[in-house]
Parts: sequence; C-alpha cells; structure tokens
Amino acid sequence: MIPSSTTNDAPVRVIGIPRGLLSYRYGILWQVFFEELGLVVVGSPETDRDILEVGESLSGDECCLAAKAYMGHVAALVGQCDAVFVPSYGSWTPRTGFCTKFQGLPDVVRNTFRDQSVRILSVEVDDITKEKEVAKSFIELGVQLGASPKEAKAAWKKATKAFENNRNRKAEAQKALLKNRTPEDKAQSPVILLAAHPYLGHDHYLCGAVVDSLEELGATVIFADETDPKTTYKASFDFSKTLPWVVNRELVGSILLLRDQVDGIVLVSAFPCGPDSMTDDAIMRYIEGTPILNLLIDAQSGTAGVETRIESFIDILRFNSMGGYIHD
Amino acid sequence: MTKIPSSSHSAEDGSNNPNPEVRASITVTKDQGREPRIPATLGKLHSLKGKKKDKHHRRVRVAAFRYCYYAPAFKYFVEQVLDADWLPLPPATKHTIEVGELNSVDYVCTPFKHMLGDYIDALDAGADILIQVGGPCRLGYYGELQEAILRDMGYQFEMLNYSEGIEQGAIGWGIQSIRIVNPSVSIPHALRQLGATANMVEKLDSARDFFLANGGFEQEAGSFDRAWDRFIGAMNEAASQTEISEAYRQVMDTMSTLPLDKPDRPIRIGIVGEMFTAIDERSNLDLDHKVMNMGVEVHRMMNLSNRFIHYNEPNMRRSCAEYIALDDGPTSTLTVAAAKKYAEEGFDGIIHAKSACCTPEIDCMPILQRISEDYSIPILYLTYDAQTSDTGLDTRLEAFYDMLAMKKAKSLK
Repeated sequence: MIPSSTTNDAPVRVIGIPRGLLSYRYGILWQVFFEELGLVVVGSPETDRDILEVGESLSGDECCLAAKAYMGHVAALVGQCDAVFVPSYGSWTPRTGFCTKFQGLPDVVRNTFRDQSVRILSVEVDDITKEKEVAKSFIELGVQLGASPKEAKAAWKKATKAFENNRNRKAEAQKALLKNRTPEDKAQSPVILLAAHPYLGHDHYLCGAVVDSLEELGATVIFADETDPKTTYKASFDFSKTLPWVVNRELVGSILLLRDQVDGIVLVSAFPCGPDSMTDDAIMRYIEGTPILNLLIDAQSGTAGVETRIESFIDILRFNSMGGYIHD
Repeated sequence: MTKIPSSSHSAEDGSNNPNPEVRASITVTKDQGREPRIPATLGKLHSLKGKKKDKHHRRVRVAAFRYCYYAPAFKYFVEQVLDADWLPLPPATKHTIEVGELNSVDYVCTPFKHMLGDYIDALDAGADILIQVGGPCRLGYYGELQEAILRDMGYQFEMLNYSEGIEQGAIGWGIQSIRIVNPSVSIPHALRQLGATANMVEKLDSARDFFLANGGFEQEAGSFDRAWDRFIGAMNEAASQTEISEAYRQVMDTMSTLPLDKPDRPIRIGIVGEMFTAIDERSNLDLDHKVMNMGVEVHRMMNLSNRFIHYNEPNMRRSCAEYIALDDGPTSTLTVAAAKKYAEEGFDGIIHAKSACCTPEIDCMPILQRISEDYSIPILYLTYDAQTSDTGLDTRLEAFYDMLAMKKAKSLK
C-alpha cells in the first residue's frame, strides 16, 4: 500500500478522478468502485484550453500532450474534493505493461503539487493479468477508506462487472456496425478505423478535430480501442513478439483484425508519445493493403492543418474506391 | 530549466509546412505485400532442427552496440560465455549517428538512433549476429523494431534479442543464446565465465569511479587518460578472471600514484540520469571529460554495477522515501536516490543527463526540482538528441561551473 502523501487522516468523502490518461480506460471501474463504497465521485471537467494551459505550466516541456493535460485535470480538482485518485499501473510485465508514465504518476503528481498540500489517494497495480492481485490492491484501498473487507470486495465485484459490461457493449456495437453495412453504405461512407490511445481518441478537445473532420466528410469512424480486447490482444502476437505495451497491443490487434473491413486507418499520437513513436513506425512498415494516415498532435493552436490532411486522405480513399490512381 | 534545444520539431515533413503543430505521413499501397511482422527466417544462418550439439557449426561473428567503456565486457561475454567471435567496432563517426537518425522516427529516444547506427556499422564490417538487450521501458521493443528497420534496409543477419524469452527469465535467455549463437556451448563453463563478466563490469565501474573523482586534477595533462586506455586495452585482452583482476590491480596502482593538484575542498558535481546517455561519452559529448577538465571532482552512481549487480531497489527507495513512494521507472530510483545523496553530502551541483524523449527521466525532473529546492543545490538539466551541439554544451557547462564556483567562494568566506 502506498502511503498517502500527507499526514491528514480525515475521512475521505469526496474523491476526485482527473479526466485524463487511464481514466479513459478504467474510469468506469474506478467510479463504480468508489460509489459502491459510498463515496461521492467528482470528475474534472472535459479538457479545454484552460485545463491544457494550466497543465502545460505545471509540466516540463518534454512531457507528452496527454500528460500535460492530466496535470491540468489534477489542478482542476484541487479544492473540489477531499482526495485526488492517482493510481499507478506498472510497466514491468514484458507484454502487458503500460508506459512508464503511468507507473510513476502518483510520485510525479505528489511532487508537482507538493506545496498545495493536495491529498493523493493511490493504488499500485503491477500486473493487470493477475486479477486477484489487482482486486487485492483495490480492496486494501477500500479498507483504507473505511469500508469493511466484505464491502470492499462487493464493491470491487460490481466495479469489474460494470467495466466488463461497458467494454462488451462497445465491442458488440462495433461488430454490429461493421456487419450491418449495406452496399449503399459502403459506397457512400468509408469506414475509418481510428487507432489512438483512448485518452487521446476520446478526448474531444485533443482529438475532436480529427473525428469531426472525418465525420463531416461523410466517413464513419470506429475506434480501435473499442474492439473486443480479448481478441485484439491475442491477434497482436501476429504482429510482434516483444511489443511491451498492452494498450498498443490492443490497438495493433484491432488493426490486424479489422484492416480488411475498413477503408482506411488513421493513427493519432500525442507528441512525443514513447510507445507510439515505435509502434507507429512498425505499423507503417508492416501493415500493407489498407491506406494509413499517421497524425501527430502536439498543440491545439489550430485545426486547419488536421482538416487539410484528413481531406486529402479521404480524397485518396475515394479515388481508390473508384479504381485507384496508384498503380504498381 | 536549462535544456539543449531539440531538433525534433521540424524534421518530418519539411520546412514549408504551414501548420507545424500537426504533422502527418500517409502510406498507400494496393497489395498486401507481406506478413505483418518481421520475416524471422530470412537471415537464418544455420538450421538447428533437433541438433543441439552440432559439430559442423560455423563460428559466427557477434557484434553489439557501442556502450560507454563496457566494450571489453561485451567482448568477454561473447568470447568466453557464448564462445563465438567478437567483432570490435572502431569509434563511432558522424556518419554513424547520421545514418541511425535517418532510419529512425524522429521522436524515438536518442539511444535507439545511436544503436541503429552502430548496428549498421557492425553489419557493414561483416557481423553475423547482433546483440540487443531488453528493458522495462521502450528498450524492450528496441530489438524487434531495429531488426525490422535493418531488414528493410536489406541486411541479412540474426538478432540475439534478450527481449525475447524474457518470460522464462534467465533460462529463456540461455535457450535463446544457444539457439542463435552457439549450439555447442558448454553450460558450466559459460556460467562460470558469466560470473567473470559481471566481475569485469564491477572492476570497470570501480576504476571509472576513481578516474572521475581524480582525473580532473592531474598534474600532467593526459596521464589519467593514458592509464585508462591501457586499462581498457588490458581488459580487452583478458581471457580469465585472473587477468581481469590483474588489469584492475595495475590500473589502480597506476592511477593512485599519478601526481595530483587537488585542493582540499574541490568543487564536486554528481552526474545522474538515464542509463545510456549519462554514461556514454559519445552520446553525451564527452560529458565526463568536459566536467573533469574544469577542475571538478565527478561522481556518478549510475553504472551497470549499481543498476544491476548491486541493485536493491526497495532499500534504495527507502533512502529517498520523502520524494518517491514507488519504483517509478527503470532508472528513476537510482536517479532520485543519487541526487538526494549528493545533496546531503554537500556536493556543489548536480547534472541530470538524459536523451530527448526519455519518459522515465522526464518524470524524475519534477522530483529533482524538489530536491534542488530543499537542499538549495543547483541542478543542470541536459537533454541530448542526435543533433545536440558541442559548443552549446560547453557554454552551459562553463556557466554552471562559474555559478558553482562563485557560490562556493561565498560560502567559504
């Protein structure tokens, strides 16, 4: 168990969850868990210019865009809750780890906000494949928050169920969408597989310009992180033996499974994302047959650049579907 | 915060890009040309189907990337443990990093580019097998992607990638080495020599510690460098534990008798940072020598011995528990613990050296800033990418030194 950063042992009634990084993956899990324990959960607002600016001022300039936004989200919760929840997800497992960013996040937040006496609540998840150990960490946290072990266990069970249901629902929806496409749909609306870390792809401020411009041009956007993670993780081993990051494995797996069913793939990365810097290179080298657009986002000062590129990409897809102008 | 400017914001799609904040590349091909992974059989040198001991096995030439002063240890490992031929590489040239950078994505961490350049040098010099290590950060994926890039460039070789087989730990690595390098290796002999390799690493690091602490005060210019070069030469020739110990004894004897002009209270600087860049003088542009030559006693806890052979992470973390509660990354605990130790021991300054885009070390920086505040110890942050300029570094180091010297003079009054 990670010691809380301050000696303040007052009971936590309101817990804040920053709307950034892994909350886009595990947010539902955490929220249901804390709510089941009888806590009030407040999320920080959606990312906007203010949050990103505050985050940028709190972070070193070499941090990735998403990490900068995260600091802004933590700042937005200061004074709004009794404690901010900043979990640590490990990078040590060789095939199912996370970026080291997520592992050290509690220490980074604690040191960044040291002078503001923000209470940080944390949990250490070393290996997500060991479900019992993950459960144990969270149950310990529940007990630390004043629940009985039994209550904490029940809350964890409900939380994992809600998390699974949400994931399955999204995977089903994606499957149905691809299956129910009529030939007219196919002719009118190209399907684009958007492969991005969930905290980027689903953050409207950071990546909205990409999704919106695709949809405005008549494309149907599906998200690689919403494909059934069990199948995608497994499929990723056809692509790479040693790729260390579970999120990238799921994205790559989704690309492998769906590349014949979609018209184009858009990779979006936050500059300078460590895992993506290498995975995207490998994808551009080894995924052939489906056009890929690789976008790197590192500031939000204008969207014209994104729009132009997406427009030209969609043009290429349309030319392609009419017989193509690229010849071998 | 001092930072060496990064080049990475301009390279990818040219200078006439009206919106530099968003960059893109598009790939369009009509045919599914290949499998979505590296064709692993392409560079197969010898088939090992069912034959563990193969007396017709051809000896292979093995090379590794250039890494600090550890080449003799790599050599010893290849020759004595794997029982294969070692391919020594000449010092890196400008071309090495240029070709490495050219074939990498621009925002991958810099050691990737250096190592890729080294591999190209090695393959051009006739290497059959390249060694890559694994690690819990991006390093774990280095080997596979570098292999892909080199194959795309047309090279034929095999990669001994210690990221593979990692699930079975040391046994997986053993199987991997036997399968790829030498099917007829004697395992008891190899294990014994593995111990000697570790010992050589410790001896190299120990001698380097003495070198760094005293080399800046030599009376005769170049005397320490000459002793060091002789030591590396002797280590390169060593073929047994006895010879390793003898080479170490000799260099320590020599260095400890070299005449010094060392003041009672010299300026002391601790170097902390990322495992590759903080030690490797070709990537940090001779940082050791630049700092030493200003007349500084240099300390650096980061080395292979302290990170692997003597590494007790939980203990080390306890020494700086007020700053970190978790093991934040591959070298984070060592960086933070070393910085706190230097601060406590009254060092004059700390230099944090890392490659551009190194995520774990970027995340150490807010923590180091707290140490700097709490102990009022100045920290110089150096970020190296492939194009970092030599003169820019000189200016920063001189300014940092002047500041430390003035601070020290004031405090001694």
